[in-house]
Amino acid sequence: MDIPVLAQITVGAVGAGAVLAGLGVRVLSQKAATAITIAGVGVAFLASVALAWAYAQGSAPQTVTLYHWGPGGYGMKIGFLIDSLSVVMMVVVTLISLLVHVYSIGYMRGDSGYVRFFAYLSLFTLAMLLLVMADNFLLLFIGWEGVGLVSYLLIGFWYTRARAPSAGLKAFLVNRLGDFGFLLGMGALLAAAGSLDYSTVFAQSEALAQQLSPFSGLSMLSLICLFLFIGAMGKSAQVPLHVWLPDSMEGPTPISAMIHAATMVTAGIFMVARLSPLFEGSEVALNLILLIGGITAFSMGLIGLVANDIKQVIAYSTLSQLGYMTMALGASAYAASIFHLFTHAFFKALLFLAAGSVILAMHHGQDIRQMGGLGRRMPVTAATFAIGSLALVGMPGFAGFFSKESIIEALGHSDLLLAPTAHFLALAGVAVTALYSLRLWCYVFQGDPRSTEAGQAQEPDRTVTVPLVLLAALTLAAGFGVEAFLYGGLLGDALVVHSAHDTLARMAEHWSGMGGAILHGFTTPAIWLLGLSLLAGYFLYGKGYAAELAPAVSRLQSVLLQKFGFDVLYENWFVRAAHAVADACAHTGDQRTIDGLLVNGTARLTRRAAATLRLVQSGLLSHYALAMLLGLVAALGYLLLRG
Amino acid sequence: MLSLTHFMLLSGALFAIGVAGVFVNRRHALVLLMSLELILLAVNTNFIAASHYLQDLAGQAFALFVLTIAAAEIAIGLAIVVVVFRSRETIDAEDLSEVRG
Amino acid sequence: MAFQTLLFYLFGAVLLTAAVATVTLRNMVHAALSLILSFFTAAMLWMLLEAEFLSILLVLVYIGAVLVLFLFVVMMVERHTPTIHHRRNYRLVALAVAAVMAAELGAALVAPDFVPASAPSPAPLGHSNTQALGSVLYTDYALAFEAAAVALLVAIVGAIALTLRARPDHHRQNPAHQSRVRKQDRLRLTDGRSEPPC
Repeated sequence: MDIPVLAQITVGAVGAGAVLAGLGVRVLSQKAATAITIAGVGVAFLASVALAWAYAQGSAPQTVTLYHWGPGGYGMKIGFLIDSLSVVMMVVVTLISLLVHVYSIGYMRGDSGYVRFFAYLSLFTLAMLLLVMADNFLLLFIGWEGVGLVSYLLIGFWYTRARAPSAGLKAFLVNRLGDFGFLLGMGALLAAAGSLDYSTVFAQSEALAQQLSPFSGLSMLSLICLFLFIGAMGKSAQVPLHVWLPDSMEGPTPISAMIHAATMVTAGIFMVARLSPLFEGSEVALNLILLIGGITAFSMGLIGLVANDIKQVIAYSTLSQLGYMTMALGASAYAASIFHLFTHAFFKALLFLAAGSVILAMHHGQDIRQMGGLGRRMPVTAATFAIGSLALVGMPGFAGFFSKESIIEALGHSDLLLAPTAHFLALAGVAVTALYSLRLWCYVFQGDPRSTEAGQAQEPDRTVTVPLVLLAALTLAAGFGVEAFLYGGLLGDALVVHSAHDTLARMAEHWSGMGGAILHGFTTPAIWLLGLSLLAGYFLYGKGYAAELAPAVSRLQSVLLQKFGFDVLYENWFVRAAHAVADACAHTGDQRTIDGLLVNGTARLTRRAAATLRLVQSGLLSHYALAMLLGLVAALGYLLLRG
Repeated sequence: MLSLTHFMLLSGALFAIGVAGVFVNRRHALVLLMSLELILLAVNTNFIAASHYLQDLAGQAFALFVLTIAAAEIAIGLAIVVVVFRSRETIDAEDLSEVRG
Repeated sequence: MAFQTLLFYLFGAVLLTAAVATVTLRNMVHAALSLILSFFTAAMLWMLLEAEFLSILLVLVYIGAVLVLFLFVVMMVERHTPTIHHRRNYRLVALAVAAVMAAELGAALVAPDFVPASAPSPAPLGHSNTQALGSVLYTDYALAFEAAAVALLVAIVGAIALTLRARPDHHRQNPAHQSRVRKQDRLRLTDGRSEPPC
């Protein structure tokens, strides 16, 4: 089959599943809904794999235009750009989605919202596919908003719980902030380049870089890139727009795995990589990206050290890893960023699903202080969790090692102003990652059970464990992609890198194959930091010295427990200000002006005017006659005076 | 030598008497109707005088229509007076104020 | 000419006097009669203006029918009308308004741009005002004429409808009832003997 047909099958199958399950949410049985959505996602996955096969054979990038819905030339259309980047993303999205669908059969069993859940999952997959396959900004934005919407729906999935709806709202609102930047960027782009079509815009990137933007000393291109990156910060949860992601853990665990770890949050990363021809032209934007990514990678990892909810720890780890991907973007190592996205999708989905397995065994308890000793009772979960954690910390040989090590090295090669800072933060982040991963492992799987649930924990059934094992295998296998991704030119047709910041090309000069990379890995500062921090972690958490150390670092601990005060800051300033504005609008604007002055005021005015005017209606004939006469006299007088 | 002004002054005076009559007799419905008749008579006289001096028959035709409508008005007005009188035993216009707002 | 002027002033004086009497007399029969007098003198004035047809119409139709109807109603109502006491005296207002009105009308007449037409020469002997008016009415004003006729008809129907009332002591024929009558309703057979004396 040729490429356009496969692309349409991918979107169509998922779309059909989502629409059927969504419309039939009240009539479909659980089995039917499961069959429909899994069939849809399965077909999409097979089509994606077929596409990937075609591109592995060296197909050229293709655009598939289905429908124009605006005046021609503005790029307002439903069209797909199928190249190596979108195909990689399609495979990741459909594969993770398929595994999560299967996993959810077991995880969501007996939930009253079962069919709704599957409909949302498929809808999410559809939106994500539109996002990655789009060949213009508008369709990208539709997918972008679509994943935001489904994320909101799924975080608030258990809407009867106390915190779920507000967590969903928070995610939605914070994303809205980022989307606002994205919209501004799109508007500026449409104004400056006159089109929203990728190819048209990319062709003009150099002209845009020459053009000076109004109201700032930046070039037009930098302004657009900064706005677009604000959008990416919202979606990929970069500091300071990261606050929604930890709260999003209120949603069901499969959702955390799929949306808030493997796919949706990577949309921002994907977007920047997709727009590399633009970002390459703006060193201002690249520097900002480096800084934001570095801060996120380091500081969010620190918070992970003190979180006590198993999913929250993994969520902070996700934030930290997203920071790494962002830094890689800043260093123009887009391929490394996408590769880390790729490996991270697998090991983070694995970690989340394993965590979900633990949560199921704990009867929906999520506090790691209640766990302990689960390693012996849940061997499959523990083994897969260990594989995921090792990949996360970047142990040589595991997937995370190749991707993260590449990023750190790329940072070292970058000449940008903030690259040394980012390099330092990335190295520090490695140590932190190792510490919180070890802490989590020790709390959950080592030692003695600290609650009755932990003592009676059981391995869940096969729909849960099979995806775990599959993902663990994929996690191990994903690392072998390093050569293709980074040096094999797999993404070459989709990414544009200026030779001035081509860090990956510099790295390629002393690339000596995977084995060499592993050997070389043992000589880098990162590995020494990792080893030291694992050792420290062993003493702190394995031997229990952490409790003795706690008083000494209590101030640091409280800062971390406050999550650097972002939530308090936002609460005090933005939320309260928004409330004040809303109150003012409600009281002064709505109640007083609209209700009081306009609505009731009209009635009051009418009543008063009528009360006054009814005095005129005396009912006496003579008064009416007098009125007529006075009118006549006045009219006569007017005619006379007018002459 | 008679001029249009003579007749117009006369009908103006008649009109003013009629108007004053409406107010002097504002309570007596029948005298009110009589005052209205005087006003209409003044108007007609004016029409006919103008018709004569301008040698245009339109004025007379209009006077005829005014007479017609005045007759209709009087017929209805008297009928109302009779009905009111039958039901209330009075024709005092000041007592007829049910439509007061 | 002087004779006509004399007549104008004579009739004018009578007209105004009668009009004032109409609105001031307490006795309503007298007031109605004064109204009739003022209409008569107005008809004379119209005659001076060579509007013979309307002049005669005013006497025959208006006075003969309308004002006599007026007189009937006045007589029917007058006995029952209680003496009217003015609750508040509006005479001053009335006079003031009338004075302003008269002043305005007078001002209009003496205004410099009011140029009265010169007196036309008298119509020739054989001239018929009736014929001339009729030819105008039935040609130029045919539609207005018809409309006036309809207005009169509506007024007639309205006046009757307003004053009509069913009186219990009123006898009238009911043709439907009459034609439904059967023999036994009217005819009673007796045995021929005379009724026994009471």
